[in-house]
Amino acid sequence: MVSEDVLRTHLQELRRGTVVVASLVALRRPDYGYALLQRLTDHGFPVDANTLYPLLRRLEDQGLLTSEWNTEESRPRKFYKTSDEGESMLNRLLDDLAAVQTSITGLIQGVDR
Amino acid sequence: MNTLTDRYLAATLRSVPAQRRDEIATELRASIEDMIEDRAGGGEDAAAAERQVLTELGNPDRLAARYADRRLQLIGPTYYLAWLRLLKLLLSFIPALAGTVVAVVKVAEGRGFGAIGPGLVVALHVAVHITFWLTLTFVLIERAQPTADLPDWSVDELPDVPAHRDISLVDTIASVVMLALTIGYLPLQHYQSWIHATDGDNIPILDPALWSFWLPALIVVLLASAVFEVVKYRIGHWSWRLYTAKALLNLAFTVPLMWLALSDALLNPALGERLSWLADADNGSLLNSLIALGVAVVLVWDLIDSGIKTRRQKA
Repeated sequence: MVSEDVLRTHLQELRRGTVVVASLVALRRPDYGYALLQRLTDHGFPVDANTLYPLLRRLEDQGLLTSEWNTEESRPRKFYKTSDEGESMLNRLLDDLAAVQTSITGLIQGVDR
Repeated sequence: MNTLTDRYLAATLRSVPAQRRDEIATELRASIEDMIEDRAGGGEDAAAAERQVLTELGNPDRLAARYADRRLQLIGPTYYLAWLRLLKLLLSFIPALAGTVVAVVKVAEGRGFGAIGPGLVVALHVAVHITFWLTLTFVLIERAQPTADLPDWSVDELPDVPAHRDISLVDTIASVVMLALTIGYLPLQHYQSWIHATDGDNIPILDPALWSFWLPALIVVLLASAVFEVVKYRIGHWSWRLYTAKALLNLAFTVPLMWLALSDALLNPALGERLSWLADADNGSLLNSLIALGVAVVLVWDLIDSGIKTRRQKA
């Protein structure tokens, strides 16, 4: 039986890159930090708040997200949206994700059990 | 206003770059309030919800580091190997060198064996300094320039596979230590032979007159022998050329010693004053003969032993 710690580490490694992909997809529709966190969680991408908030900033710095302050509601919120640059990079990432899935499927079928 | 959230924000923003502090503060506060509201809406006590949310966000320093994209390590993988390599290189010889220089200076000041202590202390100090300053330098580089232009590793850097050694390091060290002790004993016996004259002065065992030429000459031969041991280790195996050098060095030490003993010039004549049986000429010449014989036996044994090793390793 694999230890829980080892399993958790590998799952973490596997999931790490997908948070960026999921955020870029989700932010095709503009949203603010906490709402995005909830949406991702609802869709099976549980992500820690202390990971997501700094990540959004970093993606914005890299020009993959644009942001806009909305002050109409009860508290000021920063809405993020996937930029054109972010969109084109997202497509590359999605292609690669699909390629990984294809490769894995091929490998599984090719290996006799 | 000094709620937990305020304190959390202050702790986080402390180490976030100043130009974005306000913006991050506003956004983070809104996010925290969103999270608390969500939980409190589910029927939870507001204070408990706040506590829970902040616990979930975790250590503010870690969060701030994530915002600033700062590394939570002293020396990261980019520089670690370069740091380690340089540290090993510097520690491999500089502390020993500094310690030796200090010890030699102390000896020159007439400290005798008391010179070892200061030498060791200096070597230790130098090692600590090298480690500290080198590490500090790398820590600064790590922070100043996250992407390094370190030379790529190449296969040419692969070290040779350790050669099969017929001469072990332990033997070499043992030989050098023996030689060093012998060299150390020559001056020591002059000042501290544990044989005292009636007035309490120390009586050297060897004739002090020998210091004019023979004892310095013997010390030179012993030093040359120590160098020979190191060279032999570097070469790694016996050869007839090494054997010849070894034989010449042994003869250069032994022949003068035997000659001095047999011509009654080795031991201090003053010894006879304290050890009455030495004053007897027959006893004196017997002791000298025994010394010469002992030296000769060691010489012959060593030559045969080295000869056997050389022949076996050449075969």
